[in-house]
Amino acid sequence: MIEINNVTKSYTMGEEKISALNEVSLTVEEGDFMAVTGPSGSGKSTLLYTIGGLLTPTHGNVQVNGSMIYSLTSKERARFRRENVGFIFQTFELLPYLTALENVMIPLSLAGEDSRDQEKWALEALEKVGLGKRATHKPNELSGGEQQRVAVARGLVNEANILLADEPTGNLDQKTGDEIMSLLRELNDEDGQTIIYVTHDQSNAKLADKVVGMIDGRIVTRINQRN
Amino acid sequence: MRATTLVLKNISRRKGRSILNSIGLILAIAVIVATFTISSSMETHIGEEVEKYGPNIVVTPDTQSISIPYGNVMVGRSTLQENHLTKLSEIENAENIRTISPKLFGTAMVEGENVLLVGLNADSEVYLKVWWEVTGELPVEDSNEAMMGSEIMSALDLSIGSTVTINDSEFKVVAALNETGSNDDYTVFLPLHVAQGLLGMDGEISLVDIGALCSTCPVEVIAEQITDAIPDVRATPVKQAVETRIKMVEQAANFSLMLASVVMVAGCAGIMNTMVSSVHQRRREIGVFMSLGADNTYIYKIFLFEAVILGLVGGVLGSALGVLSSMIMGPLVLSTPIIIQDIPVFSIPLSIAISVVACLVASLYPTWRATKIDPVSALKAI
Repeated sequence: MIEINNVTKSYTMGEEKISALNEVSLTVEEGDFMAVTGPSGSGKSTLLYTIGGLLTPTHGNVQVNGSMIYSLTSKERARFRRENVGFIFQTFELLPYLTALENVMIPLSLAGEDSRDQEKWALEALEKVGLGKRATHKPNELSGGEQQRVAVARGLVNEANILLADEPTGNLDQKTGDEIMSLLRELNDEDGQTIIYVTHDQSNAKLADKVVGMIDGRIVTRINQRN
Repeated sequence: MRATTLVLKNISRRKGRSILNSIGLILAIAVIVATFTISSSMETHIGEEVEKYGPNIVVTPDTQSISIPYGNVMVGRSTLQENHLTKLSEIENAENIRTISPKLFGTAMVEGENVLLVGLNADSEVYLKVWWEVTGELPVEDSNEAMMGSEIMSALDLSIGSTVTINDSEFKVVAALNETGSNDDYTVFLPLHVAQGLLGMDGEISLVDIGALCSTCPVEVIAEQITDAIPDVRATPVKQAVETRIKMVEQAANFSLMLASVVMVAGCAGIMNTMVSSVHQRRREIGVFMSLGADNTYIYKIFLFEAVILGLVGGVLGSALGVLSSMIMGPLVLSTPIIIQDIPVFSIPLSIAISVVACLVASLYPTWRATKIDPVSALKAI
């Protein structure tokens, strides 16, 4: 379970003080499939990175499975991300000099897993996203949709229980985007992974069990679409 | 997959760019190796050049009755034994002795005139006295051939090929010593052993001029070793030549050291610049690593390992370039070709070590900066 309590994140830009998040409180249950929507600059991504332990809030706290992640040292927080969180980005962020398989191996390498296990588990993850046959290809030899699948595999290879996706379909055409969304839906249905994704595509938001709408750093709508 | 594999894959993908980024480092190392090589040849070369300013040790009998001035030395009747000279090869710095020129002084009647007679080994003497200009062929050892000083030549109206009577023996004038402005112009030079026979002084010599070639060891030390090795002699270092030589070598060495230091500082600045820009170019990648759970230790590991690889490659390429360029530039600077043996053995491993250490030191600050990167803003910056 993820609990966000009164989180404020503010930046100063020149003379101006900007609040990207303004006293946001939110509870995400285990196994939730949640969309965060809102216009640009509404704080959607900020919320996502705050949950992922990458952005220290100015006020408030974030509790994941009972541990206050911003009370941890930066080394402990890195370990928390390694073991609990998978990130998926709009621009995929695969390392161009590594093959699909090696990209998926990175989280396992960071965790210090044995090389043979790394390869075995990474291949399993690639097979799960339907890319077992493309394992030895470099990112520039893969289509956008395939690259995003590799990124999804990288996000779930360490058996993270939380998958955070920042506009996962933003750089893909409608059809490919839909495929990625069904893949995420499938992972959530089958493995019960908690998935939170940021989107401003209404049709993507409709797939979620819960939708959180944000404007100006505040949560303005909370919709439970689960039947 | 290990962090090191990751770094190697990254570098090998950017081979061209990595080398391009390391050009500053490669050049710095090349200049260091070239400086080492050229300066070490320069030291030897200057040593050799200065040797040419005459003998730097004069060995004379310990007790002398002053009678004839010869150059700066007063030559007396006392002599030393020629066979004692074999002891010169036994002194500690024997390999630094390049030329030994024993001489016997005396007077002889030449065509009714009493003149100064010097018995010598003409080849050694000419080697030591580079300012001598000789016309004709040098007298051959054990032959009745003579070389004449310019004043005697003209006073006795002799020319090369003439025959001359010295102490009742007939000699052929084979060489003429051009005017030197010294006693030599009034001297008759005969092969050493012939002169000994003529003067009835077999196995005796008056003094020995020694040219010792040693850029680093003081000539005083060699002189002392000679005095100790041979009984009843005094070996005197010729101060002026020694001091000039030491000073020139020191100046050359200081200059090279200064040049190398300046280049090294510039090289380090270049490496730091390269690493700072490498960190900057890879901000997003660092952001991705952090989001996937990399901690600071991991970031240090990948950047410092990259620095070691860059340092090794830069060191090896730089050394190769340095050796090559010193071989090309050496002849232009020193007017003698530089051969492989001129390269100081330590310079290449030392330069590679310097390269690695410099890369590591120069990478510390950029890597520290990399650990301070905010992953979110790094990922958002497109």
